[in-house]
Amino acid sequence: MSASRRDQALAFNMRLLAHHDLSGFGGIGEGMAMQMARDGRRILWLAHESAPKNFTAVEVSDPRAPKVVVQTDLPHAKVRSNSLDLVGDTMAVAYQTKDPGLKPAGFELFDVRIPEQPRLITHFDASGEHSRGVHALWFVDGEFIHMASGAADFKPTHRNDDQFYRIVDVRDVTRPMEVGRWWLPGTREGDAEPPPQRLDPRFDSGFRAHNTNVYPQRPDRAYIGYIDGGALILDIADKAHPKLVGRWRNSPPFNGFTHTVLPLLDRNLLVVSDECVKDDGFDWPKLVWLLDARAEANPVPIATLPAPPHGAFAHRGGRFGAHNLHENLPAPTSWRSEEIVIGTFFNAGVRAYDIANPFEPREIAYYVPAAPALSRAGAIQLNDVYVDDRRIVYAVDRFAGGLYVLEMTV
Amino acid sequence: MSSARTSADPLSSRLPVTVITGFLGSGKTTLLSRLVRHPDMHRAAVIINEFGEAGIDHELVAVSSERTTLLGNGCLCCTLRSDLQETLRELFVRRRAGEVIDFDRVFVETTGLADPVPVLHTLRTDGLLGAQYRLDGVVTMVDAVNAMGELDQFAEACRQVAVADRLVITKTDIADAKTVARLQERLARLNPFASCSIAVDGNVDPASLADIGPRTVAAQPGELERWLMPAGTGSKPIGSPRGNDAGAHDRAIQSFSLWFDRPFTWDRLNAALQALAALRGPDLLRVKGIVRVEGEPGPVVLQGAQHLFHPPVTLASSDGEPRSRIVFIVRNMSRESIAALFAAMEAIATEP
Repeated sequence: MSASRRDQALAFNMRLLAHHDLSGFGGIGEGMAMQMARDGRRILWLAHESAPKNFTAVEVSDPRAPKVVVQTDLPHAKVRSNSLDLVGDTMAVAYQTKDPGLKPAGFELFDVRIPEQPRLITHFDASGEHSRGVHALWFVDGEFIHMASGAADFKPTHRNDDQFYRIVDVRDVTRPMEVGRWWLPGTREGDAEPPPQRLDPRFDSGFRAHNTNVYPQRPDRAYIGYIDGGALILDIADKAHPKLVGRWRNSPPFNGFTHTVLPLLDRNLLVVSDECVKDDGFDWPKLVWLLDARAEANPVPIATLPAPPHGAFAHRGGRFGAHNLHENLPAPTSWRSEEIVIGTFFNAGVRAYDIANPFEPREIAYYVPAAPALSRAGAIQLNDVYVDDRRIVYAVDRFAGGLYVLEMTV
Repeated sequence: MSSARTSADPLSSRLPVTVITGFLGSGKTTLLSRLVRHPDMHRAAVIINEFGEAGIDHELVAVSSERTTLLGNGCLCCTLRSDLQETLRELFVRRRAGEVIDFDRVFVETTGLADPVPVLHTLRTDGLLGAQYRLDGVVTMVDAVNAMGELDQFAEACRQVAVADRLVITKTDIADAKTVARLQERLARLNPFASCSIAVDGNVDPASLADIGPRTVAAQPGELERWLMPAGTGSKPIGSPRGNDAGAHDRAIQSFSLWFDRPFTWDRLNAALQALAALRGPDLLRVKGIVRVEGEPGPVVLQGAQHLFHPPVTLASSDGEPRSRIVFIVRNMSRESIAALFAAMEAIATEP
């Protein structure tokens, strides 16, 4: 007997309040941010996974009745936005091209004071012969953008290692300026160090930055998922000269792609997510790890969040495994918890874990939407999640399903 | 910092388990077979002793395997394996694996000893199960035709009534009205803290058997009141059953509630309950309470039976009642002696 049918939703302690297919463009990347507009509306901004759409704004004041406010287009099909963040009325949107050397590659700042009419303020160019631009960015203080980006002056020793950690000062929004950068020694042509030992070619995703989180409670630290390079802690007290102070790698023997390093600063814990990047369970297991970070130089893994069952999901369609986490954004519209971790697991949906006892994490809620119509994976592929200050959970599908608005009853 | 709760709810994050029990011939079979067919039972798992019992016809079955049957309405029926622990474990594991429906509540039919104790014991001793399930309550079926005789004859029958949170009287259609009225009166004396309903021909609303205890730490005062003292029970005679119909077994059972003006400390509460359990565990048929404990932000929910207590749960906010209340259903113990024990504990703990 199997209830694990991809055309059926699975739920535990989460209730679907609303679903919006985003006008037929339901493929969303990993950029989600909530604006409290000046007229009191709550606007959820979403970066699309791929062309033709750039970003979509959805009014979620009433979480049961989401409404699309605006949806914008990209200039061509070989660029994607994927990532965005917002502070007040200023939104930063990443641009990454399919191949190195293309444009636009970098990020743009928009004034979204009137959500219906996003107004371009400035474009930061990160294009170059060996650059695909910006894959993911972090913008929470209104002053600096921390990002995974290539640059015109950066030639990687391996083509997969093109995006590194860059800090851009946007205090003058009309003139963004790079103020610091860090790359893994050996990944840039000319480095004295030898290039890093690569993972098995089946799993080689590169030694490059993915999420680059910096929290105002700890402004001198950047917590970075460096894909095959593991989880990194950088000292950025001097932004011009970031210094590596802690590093943890699970691969090999695991299959790489460290995605997010979420610090739980009051508890000296790190939550580290892998990203599954292969279909059909090929790179399984992709997990979320809990690390004891009391000794910053030596983060020690103490548990993994109980993974959704392999038997039920590995061959359900598309990717199966960890990806994004709700990142406790230091924004008034973001829910923050050091006891509950919420993440997306592609075809295993969105899941919440109680980590009050970090040695024994416990799954306490999940929602796995039914396969969206026209999804090329044949199953849901929840990509990213955002939890607002009302504890409403927003999850997005990578290909077709659009936005799922959920209430957590736990 | 956002105001929404940031930690897990120890009640709603666990699957509620309701124990269903009844006298022999009480119509439990009829009721179970009706219950599992009810449309509101989709997403419920029912652990029964054998399939034949629930009278499940083939046309009702959607999918079936050796020990589990999914009915067309979405209700999952499961036969008891070697023991309850094993069955609950297997159900949880298969639920996570997507092999069975993602049920959100469990009903357990018990035979023989009608007791929350095996469930409490299982949840207390098995780490996996304790993290995933919680006892919601006990439902006891009593048949209108034979109950009076059984209550006279069997101590066990009285006990089944005494441990219940909900009583369901069956077969009222073939009993005379006077007998039903006498039975209701007798049950109310035996267990004034259980609400009592009537099911004709097995017709029962699943809602009346579920959500017996508080469902979340944000439970409203009304919900707590319903659990501790269901509507109407407050006006019923409380104390030892001394009515005309009371037999020897009835008379052994006392039900009462104690109020405490001063908040407890954890030490004092634990000491009193431990002393009771150690000295008279087998006679503590049921203990339920909503108590104040110093340092806790809201009232604390207590429930236990015999020597076993569910882990106490602190509710999110106060209901405005500054006192503590504990309901006792006990055998051959007086209200006075239990009250004296608590008073002595307080005196010893607070003497300068």
